[in-house]
Amino acid sequence: MSKQFEIVGARQLPDNPSRKSEKRCGGKPLFSAIILGAIVAGCLCAGWIAGKDPSYLDLQHYNLPPDKEFLFGTDTMGRDIFSMIWHGGRLSLVIGALSTLISTVIAVIFGAVSGSAPAWLDGLLMRLADIILSVPSLLLVIFLQAFLGKANVLTISMVIGVTGWMSIAKVVRTEVRQIRGSEFVLVSKCMGGGFFHVLWKHLAPNFMASIMFMVVMNVRSAIVAESTLSFMGIGLPVEVITWGSMLSLAEKALLTGSWWVILIPGLFLIVTLMCLTNIGNYLRESGNRRCRNL
Amino acid sequence: MSKHNRIRYFCRKFLTFTVSIFLLSFLVFYISRLAPGDQLVSYYGDRVEKMSPKEREWAEERLGLKDSITSQYFRWLGGAVQGDFGISYKYKMDVTEVIAGRIGNTLILGGIGFLLIFILALLLGILCAWYEDKWPDKIICKAGTVTSCIPEFWLSLLLILIFSVWLHLLPSSGAYSVGGGGFADRAVHLILPLTIVVTGHLWYYAYMIRNKLLEEVRADYVLLAKSKGLAKRSIMFRHCLRNVIPSYLSIMAISVPHVLGGTYIVETVFSYPGIGTLSYESARYKDYNLLMVLCLLTGIVVICSNTVAQMINERIDPRIRAEVKEP
Repeated sequence: MSKQFEIVGARQLPDNPSRKSEKRCGGKPLFSAIILGAIVAGCLCAGWIAGKDPSYLDLQHYNLPPDKEFLFGTDTMGRDIFSMIWHGGRLSLVIGALSTLISTVIAVIFGAVSGSAPAWLDGLLMRLADIILSVPSLLLVIFLQAFLGKANVLTISMVIGVTGWMSIAKVVRTEVRQIRGSEFVLVSKCMGGGFFHVLWKHLAPNFMASIMFMVVMNVRSAIVAESTLSFMGIGLPVEVITWGSMLSLAEKALLTGSWWVILIPGLFLIVTLMCLTNIGNYLRESGNRRCRNL
Repeated sequence: MSKHNRIRYFCRKFLTFTVSIFLLSFLVFYISRLAPGDQLVSYYGDRVEKMSPKEREWAEERLGLKDSITSQYFRWLGGAVQGDFGISYKYKMDVTEVIAGRIGNTLILGGIGFLLIFILALLLGILCAWYEDKWPDKIICKAGTVTSCIPEFWLSLLLILIFSVWLHLLPSSGAYSVGGGGFADRAVHLILPLTIVVTGHLWYYAYMIRNKLLEEVRADYVLLAKSKGLAKRSIMFRHCLRNVIPSYLSIMAISVPHVLGGTYIVETVFSYPGIGTLSYESARYKDYNLLMVLCLLTGIVVICSNTVAQMINERIDPRIRAEVKEP
């Protein structure tokens, strides 16, 4: 092409300007994926890794620092932290995944309805989303939790899912609004495609890429939300072991200065969140970066 | 925009505002009354269990709990319009008084936090964009990603562990010592909560500035300015930054409630007497009159800041001003 037609005044770009940055951020986040995989696998095979019963209250060995028998020490109630980590991680991850699933489904349907609706309905629905956003999510969660009664894994994932869909819905709505006038949508509708058919076959493939990052981040914020709630004593009770409810003993641990009760579950939590963030960022940055002019 | 149109514009804004607040209050009222939990318990405490049915009835009558929820709501609304929001069941005081005693603390924490976030995020963002892909940028980006992953409550615990338990340098709770309350005393109590509030939000905004600046740096006008012989510094500050600032302002306007909401967790961990601890308590003890007003306050802050952000956007970009049709 360039031999036949020469464009006058075209700026010669270097062959592959983003090769260097591609290596850095375009490379798959292998390290994060491996660590996350290891944590997930460890939680799945918790029974093999950790021999001790995580809920056994060993009254002779309570509040012990890490040693050979109790690798991560014991908490103020005499439970072995090492086995609690692996058993508790299971629930934390399940809650994260489950509530993200709930919030994503709500968000996609709500956003698609709002995006393809006439202007007045769209305005109304978006105003509704704004109103729900306006109540701090913590208050909203406490409210709903009180309404559903005593917290268990299912209700808490539902509550977190129901309060976390708004920002994804907004993105879906914007994307749907941009492509709803396209010919392929029109054709599909003319050929008798129903709402869900159009949504799933034609709209979803177009906005999936832009919400993928937010979905991964939603897993992250769901895990954070669960641990924060359990820590404050309004989420799962101390007997149900998750990384968050392990941290609800932190106030007692602060009095006795037992750092392992606070640091170890927190570190596991943070490493998991970091891996999720890295994977999410990779999904967001996988588009090419242009060369800078400055 | 003519004068007539401007009046219509503000009327519209005001109307949406009122309707939103009305809907919000109705929703919160209804959900809170439907939620399980005996309201008598929150007012009378454990004494409720010893009441005879007759006394119970009398008490319900007195608190106005016997009517339907809708009529209760309109009675509440009638009082609220006149500035009477009812009494707090737990504190046995006017709701407005209870809140007035606490709101100052939250405003100090949230306000200073917001200002610090605003300034630091701008500086960090510029620094990162200036040294794109060089070591300062890489280090700040890594550190930022790490801090954004740490849950606020855990960071609070860590800082309390280090600075209060191990080093005995800073107090771990409260807004002032018992009996104290001087400026220095308050400042010392503010250090840890403020650190948490700022680190919790800082990277999100700094990263946004960085990315927006990097987008600007790739625009064609930068090439033109460079070929005219302008210095790198003046292109960055006079041209790129100037294009970024307006959208930053509107984003920061939207984020006011998020920063204030972020203080909630911090306040609870540090038992800092503010709106956050108050709403946590009021939800736990089913103190609904108080919770109503707190929700409304939050809603008003959100809607106001959204409106301000929208107005900033419309001033900058006339294309968004679609609803107001010029004659």
